[in-house]
This record gives sequence, structure tokens and C-alpha cells, in this order.
Amino acid sequence: MKENLEKIKVEGLESINNAKDLNEIENLRKSLMGKKSKLSEILKSMGTLPSDEKKAIGILTTEIKTLFEDQLKEKEEQLIASMSVLDEPIDLSIPGKKVSEGALHPITQMRYDLNEAFLSLGFEIYSEDDISSEKYAFDNLNFAKDHPARQSMDTYWIEGTEEKEGAERICLRPHLTGGSVRYLLKHGAPARFVYPGGAFRNETTDARHERAFYQYEALIVDKNISFSSGMVMIQTILEKVFGRKINTRMREGFFPFTEPGYEIDMECLVCGGKGCKVCNHNGWIEVMPGGVIHPNVLKSAGLDPEEWTGFYINIGLDRLVMMRYGVDDVRLFHSADLRFLKQFK
Amino acid sequence: MRVSLNLIKKYVDLPSDLTDEQIAYDMTLRTVEVEKVEKVADKFHDIVVGKILEVKQHPNADRLKICLTDIGEECPVQIVCGGSNLYEGEYVVVSKPGAEVVWHGEGEPVKVEKVKMRGESSYGMICAASEVYLNDFFPAHCETEIVDLKGIDCKPGEAIASLIDMNDTVLEIDNKSLSNRPDLWGHYGIARELSAIYNAPLRKLEKFNLEPNLPKYNVEIKEMQKCNRYVAVEIDGIYEKESPMWMKSLLVKAGQRPINAIVDITNYVMMAVGQPLHAFDKTHVNGEKIIVRNARENEELLLLDNNTLNLTKDDLVISDENDAMALAGIRGGKKDSILPDTTGIVLEVANFSAGTIRKTGKRFAEKTDASIRYEKGIDTQRVDDGVNLALNLIKELFPESTIIKYADIYPNPTQNSVIELTQDFLDVRLGKKIPTQKIEQILKSLGYDLTYDNNKYNIIVPTWRSTGDVSLKDDVMGDIARILSFDSFEPKPINVSMYNSVIQNNFLLDKRIREYLAFRCGFYEIYTYPWIEEKFIKASKIDLKNALKLATPPAPDLAYLRKSLIPGMLEAISKNLRYYDNFKLFESKQVYEKGDYRPSSDDEILPIQSNYLTGCIVGKDAKGIFYELKGIIENMPRYCHMEDLSWEQGEKPSWADNNAYLNIMKDNVNIGSLGLVSIQVMQEAKIKRTNVALFEINFDKLKAYDSRTNKYERLPELPLVEKDLSILVDKNVGWSSIVNDIKHLVKEVEFVDEYNGNQIPEGKKSVTLKIRMINEGTTMTSEQITEKINNILNILKEKCGAELRVE
Repeated sequence: MKENLEKIKVEGLESINNAKDLNEIENLRKSLMGKKSKLSEILKSMGTLPSDEKKAIGILTTEIKTLFEDQLKEKEEQLIASMSVLDEPIDLSIPGKKVSEGALHPITQMRYDLNEAFLSLGFEIYSEDDISSEKYAFDNLNFAKDHPARQSMDTYWIEGTEEKEGAERICLRPHLTGGSVRYLLKHGAPARFVYPGGAFRNETTDARHERAFYQYEALIVDKNISFSSGMVMIQTILEKVFGRKINTRMREGFFPFTEPGYEIDMECLVCGGKGCKVCNHNGWIEVMPGGVIHPNVLKSAGLDPEEWTGFYINIGLDRLVMMRYGVDDVRLFHSADLRFLKQFK
Repeated sequence: MRVSLNLIKKYVDLPSDLTDEQIAYDMTLRTVEVEKVEKVADKFHDIVVGKILEVKQHPNADRLKICLTDIGEECPVQIVCGGSNLYEGEYVVVSKPGAEVVWHGEGEPVKVEKVKMRGESSYGMICAASEVYLNDFFPAHCETEIVDLKGIDCKPGEAIASLIDMNDTVLEIDNKSLSNRPDLWGHYGIARELSAIYNAPLRKLEKFNLEPNLPKYNVEIKEMQKCNRYVAVEIDGIYEKESPMWMKSLLVKAGQRPINAIVDITNYVMMAVGQPLHAFDKTHVNGEKIIVRNARENEELLLLDNNTLNLTKDDLVISDENDAMALAGIRGGKKDSILPDTTGIVLEVANFSAGTIRKTGKRFAEKTDASIRYEKGIDTQRVDDGVNLALNLIKELFPESTIIKYADIYPNPTQNSVIELTQDFLDVRLGKKIPTQKIEQILKSLGYDLTYDNNKYNIIVPTWRSTGDVSLKDDVMGDIARILSFDSFEPKPINVSMYNSVIQNNFLLDKRIREYLAFRCGFYEIYTYPWIEEKFIKASKIDLKNALKLATPPAPDLAYLRKSLIPGMLEAISKNLRYYDNFKLFESKQVYEKGDYRPSSDDEILPIQSNYLTGCIVGKDAKGIFYELKGIIENMPRYCHMEDLSWEQGEKPSWADNNAYLNIMKDNVNIGSLGLVSIQVMQEAKIKRTNVALFEINFDKLKAYDSRTNKYERLPELPLVEKDLSILVDKNVGWSSIVNDIKHLVKEVEFVDEYNGNQIPEGKKSVTLKIRMINEGTTMTSEQITEKINNILNILKEKCGAELRVE
């Protein structure tokens, strides 16, 4: 009987080892250990044996059963581990399924990036309408009465108002700065806000000049602040936009609505400041004018220049986006050309 | 403006270790933008004086000569030349191999090489003036003439650059950055800035001692407001001749053409001290009297080229007893010309009001060097600098000349601005304490006069900054900051005030909607111009009533400003169809319409301006894109956290198909529309072989939730029972009526699909709906479910004639 048991064990282990799938495992479980299995039959037929032999056979049978169980479990796990959900291998080099395409305009994206930077500094976002008047676009901003920008060679006046004056002479705004006085008249000071938007100028267009372009202007008005705080703003912006520290320089500039005014140049990213065609061989690119708000502008906004001061910066978004992606023709922004727009994801 | 550093260095002692590039950089940061640093000698490299020792006929060419020429090297060299004025002993200009010349004075410079010309070798070339930038110095009389240096002190091998005083650096300054600084339109003004920047001493301008008790020249100013000062000096012993090399050279470097000694002197003075002046041939001044008056009606000014300039009564002229001789401060006429028979002049050094010059100047397209300066406002005291320098130069160039008469009529001297400035103001606004001594040094070097007393600066602004440039303490602060350099100030952090946290729901909504369309729905955002091509406005059938127009549009057919974003979208679609078949675009911009809108003050009445949003899906399957776009609008409130929208079929948008349009409603107000674009509109907009679903919505009417407002629902303890039903109804039965009939009976009714296949009887359609049901408290039994379904089917049969479709 012992030999018999040994044979069952060897045959059983071999069939477990040869099992190919989970079905076979299940069948083996029944045939090796079930009620009709050889082991069960041996146990049933044990009645006739002497008790000490009975005990020995019993122990041996249990051992074999346990062994089968362990082996089946192990084999089962092996088989599961080697299973695949696929019937057959697939071509892994086929591209994955596309997610729905679509993108924001690169200027919108830049605007949102700047909004985030300024919101984190506690700025409010303000927007003025596209159409304004000479009063807000020029008079309030300390532009001389016969400043050339007021002429129709420079500014898009609305038909029927071009010969009028001040609040009655209506135009597509030539810059955003007029919005500063609008905001201050409404909300007073202290104030800290940005006002992004489109501006329009009667110009001849080429790869570097547009009639419709985007600006992002920021203004702080407060007591007892100095223009050197403006430098922090500039650094924040450029770091946000380009993802690293950008060298800048601040130089003398003149604008009717500032005193003093300055131009901010950034290191040319194309040549790294060594000088190239893009930066006119001097290593610097003019990116944003700015300056301390002129006392006459504060007066237009109903604020006392003895008490209040502040500063502007104005960022040419088109120029900044061109630098960010290396775009070489500003007119593409208004082309609505998907071949261009699809590049910005 | 072009600035010669050689001339600058006559006025100010700059530190000797400064490079020209450093000067340009420091000036750019502190004063004006230097666009270019030009080493003017560079273009004359390898161009030297040669002496022709021997001239031989070229054996193979009639027009060429072979010249044995001494160019200061060990041996004379052989040069082939076609010049018509070659002779032995002639001093000429030789371009050695390696030099760059402009062939026949045209095109890009070309490198000279050692060549063989018709078999004879030529070491470089003997040059004509136009080939080596020497026209201004040695004007040629005919095309084949080469430069003859006769009468000029030179020796073979000498660099031409030093012969014509070109060892100099010219700074090219952006004129725009000078527009608010009338004092910088001359070398002396720039020198003063550099003296302030480097704290280097500025030399005083040399005076000229006029003889006392000179007879008075007769000058009458009729317009005292327009002419602030008029100095006239009558000088004898002046005649037409060339000016010396150093003066020609300076003028050429500054961008002027030398003409004759007296004209050159007037130009030189203008370049040096920024004061325009004018010389009249004394015999042309009828009646020996100068009158400064307004032009007469229909008066004309005769010009040198015999053309005439029509004048108006507002124009100020310089006249003799009879006729206008010059347009004051702008340009001269024929009468003021210095000619070969000139024997004496009347020199004008005057100051005209900026407004007068600007007003008259506007009528003429071209500005003159004089008008550019006058219209920016020059101080009257500068007339003295002009007179002194001019008379000194005349004495130098015409030692035999004598001053006969003199007049100085001076109605309106420029007054110094006076400004008070406290130390506290400076400390706060500059953000840094600058020692009083430093401030005094900076301001004094810029010409300010000041005293410091009791924490306060009493400042007298120099006259040359008092014509509008500096009038406020902020202007003085600006001068201090820029001379110190803005870059020398440490960035100062900005304090954030905690009470002013900013949440602006309308801007967040704008962002959410754009991002929803772009990133969830697959649209590309486009930008179009506010002016719209008329063709597309017409195509869209949008009426132009109340539309705004530009007075000077970019092009005649671009005069209208958009009232709607649809025409621009149609244009974008038609352009993109050249490259793509299926795409989605959106745009969010302002539209305009005549009206009464006063955003800031009552006096300012602007047109109505609204923010609009438009979007389109382009594709062949009209029904498919319609429902896709409808779904995008329907899901917008949920994903963008805004108040709900609903549909209504009311007024048809002008561009829409008769059978496929809806109005977008909010709180029962029509705020936009959705539809398929009609065939007619597509045809006119050149949109071919496809279909377009469009929406347009007034963004300003959308309302963001202040917060997330949906309520949490407890999770059901029991499962929902789901049942799909396919029913047959007449084709004209709408989904909305099916839903409305049964929605109160169940938890949810969902549209699954609509089907019109072969198996469906004529005039009918199959609609599949999904119903979800639940019982309060207990699980639904199968009997309850059957009962409910039967109930629903009965109601649908009764209300809209529906039959359960048998598979």
C-alpha cells in the first residue's frame, strides 16, 4: 500500500507540474483530492488494516494531500502570473489614442500666466473697453495738445468724431494706459491692478509691426513707495514667463504719463546677450516701458500727487510671446491660421 | 542724431580709460538710446595716398593707363586705371588689395584684390570719389574723374582716414529718445550729460568780444509772441569758398553735406550748440531792414530751385522791406542764398516760439534740421552761444571780414523754472538715501543752480531745461535717478496687504470657459481684427445699422468695426478649409454698436461695447455637428460653474439655416444663438463642400456662481432600476414632449438615440430612452417594475401616440 501511495504521489505531482491552465488545476484538484480520488479510495479501504499500519498510512495520506494542495496553489499562482488579458500580443508601437485637440491662443496663455503671477502679488485684474475717447487716451495722460500720436496717421478715430475734441473724439484705444485713470476714478487709491488687452495703431504692418497688438499693463498707486519696487515686479514677470532668472537693465525712457520714465531691456535669449540680428547686435531687447506715474496723471484721477505716487509697467505681449516661442512674424497672431495655432498645446 | 566723440572731447575731459562702447552704454542707460557705435575710419581701411610717378598707355586697352605709383611702400606699385585726369606727379587715392570700395558709387562694398586687367597686373586701384565715400570732400566734375589731391598737404602711404580727419567714433542716437530734450540737439548738450555722468569738468564755450557801439542793424519784430529774440549781424568781407577739412569732416560725420564756408559755419554751429542760424546775402535784403511778420494772404516764398511755397496768414516769415526771404525757423528762400558774387552777409541768430514752428511745420511733410530743434522749444539764451561760436568761426575762416552792424531784439527771455524739493521727498521716492553732497554735485553738473537749507533744496533750473522739460520736483528727481542710473537702485519688495484678497468671478469664468472649449471640447482659440472685411459682413447678412466705422481704415473695405464675431469667424473658416476638413474654432472679443454708454463720466459718451463669445464646428455631418455643438453649450454651465442656460426657438439669426437654429436663453432673455450656417451664407463666404455649426453668445450676460453651488445627495441604499424602451412615434413628435409627459413618474429619463431605418414605417421614427426608477425604502419587485413601465407606455400612447417597438 505504501508503494501504491508513493506512486499516487509521484504521478499526482507530475500531472500538477504539467497543468497548462486554471481549468486543468481545478480538474486536478477534484481528481487528486476529491471524493472519488485514489487517495480517498485508499482511505476508504483502510478499514481492514491493523491500527498501527492504519495510523502510518493515514499520516502519509494526509502528507500527500497537503503536498498536493501546496503544489496546486503554487502552480495556480504561477499560471495566473503568466496569464495575459490579451488573446495574443499587440503592436506596442502603434500610437496611443489621441485626446481631443485644442488650444488657447498663445497670447491668451501668456496673459493667464501673467495673471497668475500678479494675482499672487495681490493685484486685481481690470479691463477697459476697446473703444475710448481722446480725453482718456490722451488728455488725462499728460499728452501735449499737439502730440503727434493724436493724429489720424497714428490713431484709429471713429468716423464722425475725428474732428471733435476730448471726450467726444472717439477711438480704438492706442494703448492701455487710459484705463489707469478710469480705474482710479472709480476705485481710488491705494490701488494695485493689471489691465491686459488689445491696442490699435494706424501703422504699416510688417513682420515686426502690427495694427492690432496686445499689451499687459500693471499699476501700483500707494503712499511712500519708490520706483525701485517696480524692479521686483519686472523680475517676477520675466521669471514666470521664461521659467528662470532673466537679466534685465533699466534705462532712461520718456513717456508723457511718467516722470521719470524708463525702458526695461532683457537679455536677448536668442544669442544670450552676445549680440545677434534679433537684438540689433547689442545683446538687449526692449520689452517693457514703465515709470513713475506723472503728477498730472494722478491729478486727472482725482488724487493728490503730494500724497500718492506709483509706477507703471507695460509689457508688449506680442513681443514677449515671440521671444518665448521664437515666432518671427507678429502678423501670425491675427491670422487665425490653424497651422500656426496647432503648435501651441 | 550723429555725435562725433572728437568734438565732444573738445568740450569735456572724459576719463582716459573709457572705451567708446562704455560711453555708449552709459549714455543709453542714463540719457538717450545710442543705437550704434560707428568707428568712422573703418570703412577707409587700406585706402591711402599715392603719388603717380609714371603714366603709360595700356597696350591692350585704349581707355586704360598703367600708373607706376608710390604708395609709401618699399617699391612703387603698378596700378591700372581708367581715370581721365591722370598725370605724372599727381597725388591720388589708392585702394590697396584688401580695401573695400563701392563700384561706381553704387551697391554693396566690394573687396579690392590684386588682379590682372587685360594682361597687366594691377595692385589695387586708383579711386574716384564716389567709390571711397569722398564725394563730400572731393566732388567729381565728370564720371571718369579720379580724386586729385592737389593742394592738400599729404604724403604717399598716408591713410586717407587721417587726411580727412576720420579717426573718430560717431554715436548714432535714436531721435525719438531725444524728443523731450531740446537741450541735447547739439554736441555741447551731450557733452554736458557726459560731464554729469562721469563727474568730469565741462569747458565753458568761448565768448566773442563784439566791438562796443556798433551801428544798429534795422530789425523790426511785428509778432512779439512768435519771435522771442532776434539777433542780426551784418558782416562784410565774406565770399563763397570751401571750408577747411576739419569742418567738412565734422559735418560729414554729423550727417551734413559741406556746401561752402558760410553755410558750413551755420550748420556747424547748429551741430555744436544746437542753435539754428541763417545767413542772408546782404545785398538781397532790400531796404537793409529785416521784418519778422506774419505772411500776407496768398503770399509766396520763392525757393532756390524757383519753385514757390504757398503761405498762410499764420505762417511767420523773415522779410525785407518787400518780400518774404525765409519761412521763419524752417527754411530759407532764394533770397538768402550765398552765391559767387556774395561780398557780405546778414547773419540771423533767432529764437521762434515752438508752437509757431510746429503749426507751420505740420503743413510740410519734411522737417528741417532747424524746425526739428525749434519745435521742441529752445531757450533764448542759446542765441548767445550761437552768436559767439559763429562769429569766432567767421573770424577764423574769414580773417579779413569786418562786422558792420549789429542788433539784438529780445522781447521774451526764457525764464528759469524754480523748484523746491525736500530731502524727505527724495528719500521716499528714490527709496534710498542719497547724500546731499552727491545730489548737489549731480544737479550742478547738469547746470542747475541750487542751495540747500533746512532739509530743502531751492533749485533754479537752467534755461535750456526750462522750456517745458523740467517744471516739477518729479522732473528733478528723475534727473537724479537717471544720472545715478536706475540700475543702481536695489529692487525693493512690495508689501501685500491681507485685507485686499482678490477673487474676481467674471475673470475666472472667462478663463474657465476658454479652457473648457480648448482643453475639454477641442477648440482652437483664434484672434481676428476688430475691422471686418465687408464681404464677410455681407455674407453673414448681419445688418450694418448702428455699426461703427473708422475714419481712416487700414483699407477701404476694412472700415466697419465688428458688431458680431460671426463674420470674422466665417473668414477664419474659409481660410482654414484650404488645409483642414474638420476643425473647431472659438473667439472671445468685444463687439461694438452705436449707442449711449458712459463708463466713467457724463461727458464721455462711448458706443456700446460688449464681450462676445463665438465658436464653430466644421464638418460634413450637419446633424452630427449641430448636436455636438448643442451639447457643448448645454454642458458649459456645469463645467464652468455658471448659471444655467435654456433653449427656445424664436428669432432666426441672419446666418442660420431655416431648419436648424435655437436661441440661447438665460432668465427668459435671448443672449445668443446656435445653428447650422445656411447654404446661402456659406456660398457667399466661400465655404465649400462642408457644413458649419455656429454659436454666438453675449458673454456679459453669463453669470458665474459665487461658489460651487450644487448640493450633495445621499447615496441611495437601494439600486436604481434601469430600463431601455424603444418607441415608435410620428416624426414630428419632439423629444421634449416625450420627456415632459413622463419625467414626473420616474427618477430620470435619458435620451439614447433616434432611428429612421428601413424597418420603421413611413412617417414614423424610433426613439430609444433610458428610464431610471427607484422606490422609497424598498426594492422594486418585478411586478412593480412591469406596472410602472406599462403606466409609462400608456401615457406615451395617449399623449403622443407612441407604440412600443417590437424587435
